[in-house]
Order: sequence, then structure tokens, then C-alpha cells
Amino acid sequence: MEVIEQESPTVGSLIGSNECINPSVAVSKVADRFFTSQHIDALALVEGHEPIALITRPKLLYTVFRRFGFELFGKKSIVSIADTEPLMLEENERLDVAIDMALSRPAQNIYDEIIVTAGDGSYKGLLSVKQMVIQQSTTLANSVIQKELAHERSKELEKMNHVKSQFIANVTHELRSPVNAIIGLAELMKMSCDKGYIDQVKDRLTLIMSGATHLRAVITNILDLSKIEAGKMEIIAEPFDVVRIIREVAETTRVLLGAKPVDVLVDTASAELEIASDPIKVKQILTNLLSNAAKFTDRGRITVSAVKLNDVLKICVTDTGIGIKKEDIEKLFIAFNQVGDAATKRHDGTGLGLTITKNLLDMLGGNIILRSEFGQGTVFEVTLPLKNNKLNPKEEGHE
Amino acid sequence: MNKTGKKILVIDDDKKHLVAVKEILENEGHDVYMHDQAFGSTALAKTLNANLILLDINMPGLSGDALAKVMRAHSDIRAIPIVFYSSNDEDSLRQLVKIHQVKGYICKGDIFNLKEKVAHYLGSS
Repeated sequence: MEVIEQESPTVGSLIGSNECINPSVAVSKVADRFFTSQHIDALALVEGHEPIALITRPKLLYTVFRRFGFELFGKKSIVSIADTEPLMLEENERLDVAIDMALSRPAQNIYDEIIVTAGDGSYKGLLSVKQMVIQQSTTLANSVIQKELAHERSKELEKMNHVKSQFIANVTHELRSPVNAIIGLAELMKMSCDKGYIDQVKDRLTLIMSGATHLRAVITNILDLSKIEAGKMEIIAEPFDVVRIIREVAETTRVLLGAKPVDVLVDTASAELEIASDPIKVKQILTNLLSNAAKFTDRGRITVSAVKLNDVLKICVTDTGIGIKKEDIEKLFIAFNQVGDAATKRHDGTGLGLTITKNLLDMLGGNIILRSEFGQGTVFEVTLPLKNNKLNPKEEGHE
Repeated sequence: MNKTGKKILVIDDDKKHLVAVKEILENEGHDVYMHDQAFGSTALAKTLNANLILLDINMPGLSGDALAKVMRAHSDIRAIPIVFYSSNDEDSLRQLVKIHQVKGYICKGDIFNLKEKVAHYLGSS
């Protein structure tokens, strides 16, 4: 939203006319001029360059249409019936000051035109009070709107700033924690080597490797997310069989579950389901959802179902895990928001998986929703278009 | 190895950190006790009558700083010095120390610093 800086304008910028007349001109002539020029509301009486008086249309009409008015005044000079003490302001006077001065005049003169002069007192033009008031109220209204806009904007920036620093604090911790663990363990390993305890070295190596693997996952996720946010993630669509990918990911998940009493079931409508999308991204989405389910399910089963419905493929990942509280569901797709404050997060993981999943699905033209019963389990429901022309990279005209 | 007879309770949800700290500090002659969550830690601190508590910040359920608040309010364990031991930003640790009026903080990842600071905090307890 563009915010226009507006200062109070000066009276010089609002001059409506620069009509003037010599003070010695006869009243009848001036009356003729008012009759023939309907746009004139007032005339300044200018002698040489200096304005000395003002005659307004109402004042003139009032005078000449009075009983015998024309006969009495017609031949006299206009200055005899004009206001010889009109309000005069210099052209660089501020509008708000001008309005104050105009409105503090005697009641019968308030709506008279104001004579504007240059610094040297010479005549510049006439300014109508009505125009001035309209201008001033517009300026005021604008300044109120501007203030509100600025306020909104600053609130928004503050919020963004908070999210950003929260994000950085999280990234800092997520990266530093595994590195510190690796360093500590390496130190211990050195101590074991010095003492010649080979068994200890083995144990420590296992821990170091698990720390390093975790660190790699965090880094990959952070890089993926920044790639997505920078618009550099490429989508390459091709026809492939989703069921094959589901089976692969299910197998990996079984390994991940290890000794936990959790079955991984694949339940697809047919043995093969072909769609045109980016297989690498689809696999990444499924891997995220299944490893998520594996993490939060201690017993029972994880079921992956897939079915074609009209022009979309619907994949459901259902688990019998800890479930998600209603109030936490909407926070789920926000980076690092592994439910609960990141400082109190319950499970390993980067807190980035679902954010990435959601972003990838947006890019593939798909969608994700979830239903969950706290304590009962969770269903993630993914829809993907069977064919999406937008995904053909050759048709992407923009960077 | 000379025993110092000092008991240190380390509370951290990350097993890798627990194992590392235990061994490093045991090598210094301290008795090190590990606990992997906030839950049950106050009772343990009380039973052990520890000389020092090393407290991680990012933990499940209850964060370390919140746990410190609970401990500080507990008359039986208020006297045990608490030191934050975390991978968080040093500035934020410094702030948390101020807020919760604990003894100090140690940044994870520097073993020499860990040994030295633990000795320092034990000495001044």
C-alpha cells in the first residue's frame, strides 16, 4: 500500500481565480461583469499591484437590488460599496492557519473570498473559504487513514520480526545441538582411544553417526525450505506408478519403526495407479508423512491408502498414534512448530517436515488436510491432481 | 583419579549429551547422575541432595527454564545451584539466567569450558 506524504498545503496552492478590477470602476459596470461572468464569486479591487478591497457577488447584488439601489450606487465607484478591510493572506501561509483566521472573522464575512498576496504585498488571486475547508478535511481524512495504515504496517512488521527471530533461534538450536553432541562424543572417543578401550569407541561411533545423520536431516530440510521459499525448487512432471512409491516408503518406515509394535499396511484400490506428477517430490511428501506417523505411534498400525477419485488421487496416511489436539492442528504446518513450544518439543525431528510437505503439495497443485482425535490417532489426507498441465516445466514461462 | 565427592545432577532429554557429560565430568572425579526429562527431576534432586544441577533448556513437556522456576520455588532444593547447559544462543542463556536467578550458564560444545565452569560453580557452592 502506497502511503502519500502530505503536509498541510499553503493558501497559494489553492488560489481559485485571479480576477480583479480597478477600484474606480463604476458599480454598474461591475454588476454587468458579475451578470455576464457567472463563475465569478468575488472580485478583488486592485490599485496598481496592491489589493485594497473586495467585492463579493452577494454584497453587490444585495446593494444594487435594494430599493433604489441601482439608482443610488450605479454611478459610484465600486470601492464605495466594497469591503475595504478584507482578509488578506500571504501565499505561503499554511492552510490550517488560514482557516483559523477566516473562521474568526465577523459572522457576515466568514464565507467571503480571501485575497492572497505575494510576499511584497502584490495581488496574487482569490481563494474561496469553501474550497479551503474541503481541502483541509481531505487532508485530515488522509492523515487519519495514513496513520491507521502505518499502524497496521508496523504491527505486521513486528509480527514478522518476531516470527523471524523465533525461526532463527530455532535454526540456531537445531543446528548447534547435534554439532555439540558430536564434538562431545568425539572427545570421549579420543579419551577411549587413549585408554585403549575399543568397545567404548564402537559405542561412541554409533552415537556420533546417529548425531551426524540427524544433523544431515536438519540441514537438508532447512536447505529444502529455503529453496522452496526462494522459488528455486524445480518440479519435473512425468507419469509414474504411485503404488510402487508407497510400497518403497512403507518399507523404509518399517525399518524406522524398528522394534516398536507397529504394523505398516498398504491398502490401494488397484495394484498400480499411474499419475503424472513429480515422483521425487511425491516420495518426499510420503516419506515425511510416514516418518511422522512412525514417530508419534508407539503401538498399533500405520495404513497408507490410495484411490483415484474423478480427476484427483487421494492418499490417506492413518495412524493409531498419540493424535493432535484440536487447538494445535492449525499450528502444525508452520515451520518449527512441532506442537508445543520448540523449547519443549517432545520428539526428535526438525519441525520442518510438515511445512515442507505443505509447500511441496502447493507446488504440485495438491492439498493436505488432517483429522485427528487426541489420544486416538491421526489421518493425513493428501490430494494430488492426476494430471496437471501447470507442472510441465516447459510451459513455465516465468523464472 | 581423585574423587571430589561432589554430586552433579544432569537433566537433558538428549541421550547423547547425557552420556558425554557424564563421562567427561566423572573423569574430573565428580559423581554424575543423569535424568532425561523434567518429570521426576525435583524429587531426584532432593533425594540426591546434589551439589550442582546442570539443566538443559529445550526439553519435552517442561522446558529447562520453566523447571528452574519450579525448583527455585521448592524450599528443599532452593539451595542447590542450578546452571543452564544448552545449545541455545549465549545471549538468550544470559537472559534466562537473569530472569530465573540461577547460578549461571554453560554453552554446550566446549568441553574445556564445561570442566572449568563446573569446578568453578562447585567451588563457590
